Amino acid sequence: MPERKESLEQLVLTRVMRLNATIHGLVFGLVAGLALFIATNWLILKGGPIGPEGEPIIGPNLWLLSQFFYGYSVTFVGSLIGFAYAFAVGFVAGFLIAQIYNWIVDFREYRARRSA
Amino acid sequence: MQEEKQHVIPSTMNRNGDQQVVIIGGGPAGLTAAYELITRHNIRPVVFEKLDKVGGIARTENYKGYYFDMGGHRFFTKSKEVQRFWKEVMGDDFLRRPRLSRIFYNDKFFHYPLKPFNALMGLGLYESVLIMASYIRWQIFPYRQEETFEQWVTNRFGKRLFLTFFKTYTEKVWGISTSELKAEWAAQRIKNLSLKSAIVSMFVKPNTKITTLIEEFDYPRRGPGMMWNAVKEAVERRGGSVQLNSDVVGIHRQGNRITAVEVACNGYRQVVPGDSFISSMPVTEFIRYLDPPPPKPVLDAAHRLKYRDFLTVCLVVNKKELFPDNWIYIHDPRVKVGRIQNFKNWSPEMVPDQSKTSLGLEYFCNEGDELWTMADEDLIELGKQEIERIGLAKYEDVEDGSVFRVPKSYPVYDSEYKEHLETIKEYLATLENFQTIGRNGLHRYNNQDHAMLTGMLAVRNLMLGESNNLWVVNAEQEYHEEIAEDVEADPEVVTEVVKEALAHIFTRLDPLAFGLALGLILGLAVFAATALLLLRGGPVVGPHLQLLSNFFIGYSVTWPGALIGLLYGVVVGFVFGGLFAYLRNTAMFLHMAYIQRRSELNLLRSLFDYI
Repeated sequence: MPERKESLEQLVLTRVMRLNATIHGLVFGLVAGLALFIATNWLILKGGPIGPEGEPIIGPNLWLLSQFFYGYSVTFVGSLIGFAYAFAVGFVAGFLIAQIYNWIVDFREYRARRSA
Repeated sequence: MQEEKQHVIPSTMNRNGDQQVVIIGGGPAGLTAAYELITRHNIRPVVFEKLDKVGGIARTENYKGYYFDMGGHRFFTKSKEVQRFWKEVMGDDFLRRPRLSRIFYNDKFFHYPLKPFNALMGLGLYESVLIMASYIRWQIFPYRQEETFEQWVTNRFGKRLFLTFFKTYTEKVWGISTSELKAEWAAQRIKNLSLKSAIVSMFVKPNTKITTLIEEFDYPRRGPGMMWNAVKEAVERRGGSVQLNSDVVGIHRQGNRITAVEVACNGYRQVVPGDSFISSMPVTEFIRYLDPPPPKPVLDAAHRLKYRDFLTVCLVVNKKELFPDNWIYIHDPRVKVGRIQNFKNWSPEMVPDQSKTSLGLEYFCNEGDELWTMADEDLIELGKQEIERIGLAKYEDVEDGSVFRVPKSYPVYDSEYKEHLETIKEYLATLENFQTIGRNGLHRYNNQDHAMLTGMLAVRNLMLGESNNLWVVNAEQEYHEEIAEDVEADPEVVTEVVKEALAHIFTRLDPLAFGLALGLILGLAVFAATALLLLRGGPVVGPHLQLLSNFFIGYSVTWPGALIGLLYGVVVGFVFGGLFAYLRNTAMFLHMAYIQRRSELNLLRSLFDYI
């Protein structure tokens, strides 16, 4: 076999990685969604102190997310809503990070090729 | 590796309508070529073998009914084509034999391939501590340059273990100091050393068949000679000719074509014309025999290629069993013997009388040196004394012996050989109807299966017009798998696909690009969160988000604050993204280096299989 092809060593040392935006988005989305889902349910299971009106106060700080995620609450239903929100936000963020990363890498390689 | 082709012009037909193909050398490569020509293409070749038996440097000698395999040849291969050949020729005459080979050093046996724990236990506590200390010392302060074999191994195992297990045997085999032996040689002898192979092995299930066959191997009932005799008979049965005691002493050339060979046989000389010529004789001799001779630089290059030779002192010992190993590496510097074969453990049929054992004491030497020229009786005496000195058998139990010399067993890879071989290759490429094959024909350290492959490929070049480069067989691990007919996919394509996939996984993450991407998204996220709260309004806008100002000094939940937050986000994201990418690249690089080093160490443990 002639040595016309690059060796793996050459590929690894000279090439720059490209990210798959969709997969990146899905992974970010899933991690974010699951994190919020678990955090919410963890607080529900843990419970909280009883408030002045006899109601337990569960996760008052996490509750603040509802400022951005309309409909979210620290309840089981809220954890499902939160999962959907976090997944969507995570997906968009992950997708955009990968896409922007790829654009920048392409641009840098294009510039390097031109100046070579 | 440059793309070289064997230029073979299909030849004219002779009176019988056959091409006259002349094959020089009746070793594995030459006989394989003859067999392939006659069985697959119905071409009846004529083979000239210098010795009185076939097999070349893989021959089996017979002394009073005891069979002695010159060098010990395990039969295992990755090539389906070679495997098919073996099965076709030998059928049920193959035995599956377990492998046991140990190192004998300091009156003790050590597992082979080397097992560090076993080695340390065998050497004793004090020596083990010294070896560990030496290992640590050389890991911390290694040789900066790995130019010699000694430096190469020392950097991996430490000096003390090198001196114990690597120095003596390697020097016995090659006859030169390990400080003169090039590091490149070790890397060439150890296969699968590339990073690709190491990484692939992490993901791809190893070839268990090969692994198993290294632990056990196939072996003809009466040694490799049995197979080569069967091949000879098969060739002759179909009308080919294998002429023994026929020494090719001249090669007639007209321009770029070989026209005939001059053969010395029983005191007579005959000139045998041919259309195509395939030679497995040492390429240096082929060059010297050319008439008219090639240009002087080619002759000079041939003159400078070197070989290492060995002789086997075969002893018949009046003992039913001596030791369970197939062979033993003798590292003991007190004796000259390098390796001892116990042929009865290769196959019981190697010995005619099961109450006796036959040993082959292998001495590595150079043609014409003191050992080589020693009288057979003296060599047998030396063998008897040494076998007693190392305690493997008693002097008085040795009842008979014989000596067999094998010249040009190993092509020497010295610092100049590549340059000389290149000169020869360039010249040989100009010969239109000639191909050189086999270990010595290519001056390449091919094992038997690789030598056979060169014979097969030469026939394909000749008969099918293919352009297989015989010089790279065994140079690339995948090459010899390419001619397998029953593979599901083209191995070259598979290799490329795997390489591409691995390249995607292991390539660098651009820290600048990743930092910028993360920074932009983080900045936009802060901006969007601030803007959302501002748009929603309220008596107190975003009191909690305002807490960010603890870290982002100057930030507030206001429109100017949103812009400041955007900037902070970009900067923080950039720093963290860049750092993440940098650390990820470093970790990946270290991980790959670790994999490669581990792969090297594993292979070094079985180094003696390759030397």
